[in-house]
Amino acid sequence: MSVTGIAGTELGVGRFRRTGQQARDFAGRILGRSDGLVGVVILGVFTLLALAPDLFVGPLQTIVTATGKPLEPPSVVHVLGTDETGRDMLNLTVHGARISMTIGLMATLITIFIGALIGVLSGYIGGRLDNVLMRISDFFLVLPTIVLALILAPIILDIIGPEAEFLGIRATLLVIVVVIGLTSWATTARVIRSQVLSLKERMFVDRARVIGSSSFRIMRRHILPNVVNLIVAQSVLTFATAVFTETTLAFIGLGDPTAPSWGELLNSAQSSGAPGLGAWWYIAPPAVSVVLVVLSFTLVGNALDDLLNPKSARR
Amino acid sequence: MTEPSEIPETVALPEDATIAPSKAAEIRGQRQWPLPKLAVPGAPLLEVKDLQTHFRLRNGWVRAVDGVSFGLADGEALGLAGESACGKTTTALSLMKLLPSNGRIRGGSVELFGIDLVPKSEVAMQRYRWREISMVFQGAMNALNPVIRVRDQIAEPIQYRLGQPEAAARARAVELLDLVGIPRKRSGSYPHELSGGMRQRAMIAMALACDPAIVVGDEPTTALDVMVQAQILELLERLRRELGLSLILITHDLSVLAETCDRVLIMYAGKVAEEGPVRRVFTAPRHPYTRKLVGSFPNLHADRRTLDVIHGQPPDLLDPPPGCRFAPRCDFAMPVCTEVVPPEVRFSDGVRVACHLFPKSDIETIGAPASAAAGPSAPAA
Repeated sequence: MSVTGIAGTELGVGRFRRTGQQARDFAGRILGRSDGLVGVVILGVFTLLALAPDLFVGPLQTIVTATGKPLEPPSVVHVLGTDETGRDMLNLTVHGARISMTIGLMATLITIFIGALIGVLSGYIGGRLDNVLMRISDFFLVLPTIVLALILAPIILDIIGPEAEFLGIRATLLVIVVVIGLTSWATTARVIRSQVLSLKERMFVDRARVIGSSSFRIMRRHILPNVVNLIVAQSVLTFATAVFTETTLAFIGLGDPTAPSWGELLNSAQSSGAPGLGAWWYIAPPAVSVVLVVLSFTLVGNALDDLLNPKSARR
Repeated sequence: MTEPSEIPETVALPEDATIAPSKAAEIRGQRQWPLPKLAVPGAPLLEVKDLQTHFRLRNGWVRAVDGVSFGLADGEALGLAGESACGKTTTALSLMKLLPSNGRIRGGSVELFGIDLVPKSEVAMQRYRWREISMVFQGAMNALNPVIRVRDQIAEPIQYRLGQPEAAARARAVELLDLVGIPRKRSGSYPHELSGGMRQRAMIAMALACDPAIVVGDEPTTALDVMVQAQILELLERLRRELGLSLILITHDLSVLAETCDRVLIMYAGKVAEEGPVRRVFTAPRHPYTRKLVGSFPNLHADRRTLDVIHGQPPDLLDPPPGCRFAPRCDFAMPVCTEVVPPEVRFSDGVRVACHLFPKSDIETIGAPASAAAGPSAPAA
């Protein structure tokens, strides 16, 4: 109860309790910065689109329900033009937001969970466990994401079948989530471990042990709240990377063709020869969306990092 | 604290600084939590005999504490003084067996209520740590977790050591904070929201959490300004009277000792140089080291040039010199000093000295060495 989400950060924490007043204060301080404001606004727009795409552009268009002619340039009816089957690009891009951001979110959760767990255990317990865990993380650090995806995707699909669903997400998307999670937890674990190494030498850890706290309790109650700022910053970065990686993987054909993520759209634009035909409106919307989402996350991440870092001058 | 430098002359020790034994026994009877089951009836509170705490290095054992003995009575305040690295903190940590992984108690005994703690296992020590001997750590900012409310941190030992439910522990923590002078409405603060003095008060509240018999203060007032320092010392003094605590105070600051302690133990290179009632030791120091130590403390009223400096450095404890360890820096060193370890001699006024200048307790104390002190280059016979 005393440890609340983002609030559990060194020094930054005390100011930000669960009470409404302080939450408002904190929101005010993020929005008071130009980078924070821009980031939050862009992110808010995309989150809204991802949550309720039908509300803004109607149900996802398929080849059957396509409303336009193939590769129509932007017009009043089709603001962003159409693709090679006559589907409205605005409709596809907005629906793509949901897929891309869901994948980003799930991959981030996996990454941060594994990374924080390994980082805290490895840093606090140290010794042989640290050695083993860090050698494993070394292995995952040097593993190229795309190669791993190329190998894992067919294996996982073969085991569970391409039509299998997990929490409403198709297996192919799940592969992408797993691959992103597997290849990026090691960075988070390294970053958190290094902070824990310094934290465990602090006197309050000794004090906690003297007054009778077990190692587990020290890790959960004393160490973890002190690395929350790192976890927040890492989550933001991981989310941006995950969206980007999803786009890349879908672009090279490892995505789910029935779910139009942004990477998937770029892939079909490429395979339909859109660049050669001068159909820039086929490429620009998903590409700009990816750039905007990654940018907004970087901006929010920067702002959070500054606000939560006690040593930063602009708090 | 107004004139911190005037140790020998103007220190005003309260006449009833030591709580009478009968009253102390009474306080022991009033303990909120029972005495340890193994406690020997009538045994002194704390009796340390010939304590040897050594640290293992790659090339041998560092004898950080080498044969230290002292006692602590109910309600008494004992000061541990000496320059850096002379074994003060190691002595205190040995009482709780809180040594770094390369440290070991290789001899002697630490008897609390007549129970020897030295052979106790880690698990067995849990009964005594914090419940009987607790500690006020040096540097309150580092000893408090920056992201947990002060009240909840103080509740921790009450929960874990005494097995109290969380709500009760928290209520008790607020009471303790009140006791050390932190208002109730500030008890939900985070450490960085408190001033340095308040953080130190919070550390004292934490030390009191389990109603211990002994509180060890490791430089509790270092890094605080003089006014706050005075407040903290006053608080410790008040708690000692009200709760019948026994204090062990470690500090470099002799004026702090003069003000708060009943007895003082001067350590040098892991050994006791001089021990006795604070007024006797500071006004009539016998051991040359004590004399130097008192002399090297700045005095407001004296000329700046009279500040005494102890030349040289403490010996390497990996391979201490034979004989008296202070001999290489001593103005009065005699041939015997570098060969024979001086025995500890107890005087009728309660002072204990380990120096060849005082081979027997019947030698008049101030006489001979004091006249020798007149000449700076002392006669090394």
